[in-house]
Amino acid sequence: MIKTDVLVIGAGPAGSTAAKHAALGGADVILVDKKSEIGAPKRCAEGVSMGGLESLGIKPNPQWITRKIEGVRLVSPNGTSVWLTSDTVELPEAGYILERKVFDKHMAMDAARAGSRIMIKTLARSLQQEDDGYIVNLETMGEEFQIKANIIIAADGPESRVARWAGLNTATKPKDMESAAQFEMVGVEMEDNHCIEFYFGGVAPGGYAWIFPKGDDIANVGLGVLSTKTSKSAYEHLLEFVEDCPATKNAQPVELNIGGDPVGGMPKKLVTDGLMVVGDAAGQVNPLTGGGIISGMTGGMLAGKVAAKAIEDDDTSKERLREYEKLCHESIGKEISKYLKVKDYMLSLSDEELDSIAEAFKDVEFEKISTTELVKKLVKVSPRALLKLGKLF
Amino acid sequence: MKVNDWCMYCGECAGVCPRNLIEVKETSIIFSKEECKDCRLCMQVCPIGALEPEE
Ligand SMILES: Cc1cc2nc3c(=O)[nH]c(=O)nc-3n(C[C@H](O)[C@H](O)[C@H](O)COP(=O)(O)OP(=O)(O)OC[C@H]3O[C@@H](n4cnc5c(N)ncnc54)[C@H](O)[C@@H]3O)c2cc1C
Ligand code: SF4
Ligand code: SF4
Repeated sequence: MIKTDVLVIGAGPAGSTAAKHAALGGADVILVDKKSEIGAPKRCAEGVSMGGLESLGIKPNPQWITRKIEGVRLVSPNGTSVWLTSDTVELPEAGYILERKVFDKHMAMDAARAGSRIMIKTLARSLQQEDDGYIVNLETMGEEFQIKANIIIAADGPESRVARWAGLNTATKPKDMESAAQFEMVGVEMEDNHCIEFYFGGVAPGGYAWIFPKGDDIANVGLGVLSTKTSKSAYEHLLEFVEDCPATKNAQPVELNIGGDPVGGMPKKLVTDGLMVVGDAAGQVNPLTGGGIISGMTGGMLAGKVAAKAIEDDDTSKERLREYEKLCHESIGKEISKYLKVKDYMLSLSDEELDSIAEAFKDVEFEKISTTELVKKLVKVSPRALLKLGKLF
Repeated sequence: MKVNDWCMYCGECAGVCPRNLIEVKETSIIFSKEECKDCRLCMQVCPIGALEPEE
């Protein structure tokens, strides 16, 4: 049987970051993923903020960045556009569009360079608790084997099952699982292909539609819906959207991506004896935007560091690992709770209300663009927003 | 629950199954049918309608 200090299950951005930091902290680390190619197929629109990467100490690399973003276009149901571009406003949270298939692999390579052992095409199937950790049953190329680990980091994404095997209640409720479908398309005719676009209202009940440019006439065109708010599938909504949207009606898909985004916030408990849960598996996603790369990597970094220290102290009890839970709730958790309230408010708006907010926004002068700045302005232009969100921002 | 062959193995159904019964491999998916309570939550969230109730 293979033995290790830390076993990370799932080599998405959160898992690779956890593995990297646990290894940098001196622990023996194994990182497993069921996929034969880490990062593929992507389940993502590939947008990240520059500040987010910086906070994780990751230098932007032209190998995995396809486009630098210079603005945002918000489109209301009747087509009213609000443009926020770098000619007119400061962009402290400007971003990049990644090539996730390359980015995820690079993050796993960083984990390997830090000393982690990577096992691809390796599926975790179940686990049993032992006095000083877990025995995990895995499968690779038809063969079953076991790994004994003192600490498990469950980084198995939105399909999260691992933490539940250890008794943590991390299942996502359908009302909190955004169902998403996206085409990567060619022949997209955007008004400005350096800006990301968001479309609100009935096009995507419970969520929104997006167009994220990847350079030239290529873009990720997708949407997320809450299945509790529509009887159609995300894919059916996507087909309607690309047919109706002026930018995409002549475009052709070269890739279909589907997946879930847990937008209900973090569960209270993120640890149990010898186990921590990170990333989408821990609901570490901004519930308003659905963005989970940076927050999941932040969770991964915190878990990796705490894991290494716990191994060094020879104490992997849940009391010891609670340091991770506390750090997460203090950092990522506060933001998530705030944006959950904004999401609830946004969901309560009708298409007409969204149109009138867009109309009012057209004349608003912005100094900076960030999700927080947008919400602050929203509070100023909408009396209902002031009542519901005034105290938050 | 019947899985149609256009399933793309995204795992979304696994994340919501309250009984943790769905295992999604790289290109296959397994249900533990005996324990399934037919609540159909998995069916509800699938982004491409790949799940159908068994006849
Ligand atoms: C359509 C869509 C668009 C999105 N757009 C954005 C965006 O623009 N920006 C953004 O920040 N976020 C976006 N997100 C969210 C983002 O993709 C996730 O938050 C992020 O990938 C979470 O990272 P993770 O490491 O937690 O999980 P994942 O990236 O999902 O990685 C989990 C890994 O675990 C593996 N795994 C699962 N089970 C097992 C097992 N039993 N054994 C072994 N391996 C296993 C999987 O193969 C996978 O590689 C989007 C999501 C969707 C669905
Ligand atoms: S949610 Fe649908 S597409 Fe995704 S794995 Fe389940 S059945 Fe397949
Ligand atoms: S019907 Fe319900 S219990 Fe059965 S597999 Fe689907 S979600 Fe799980």
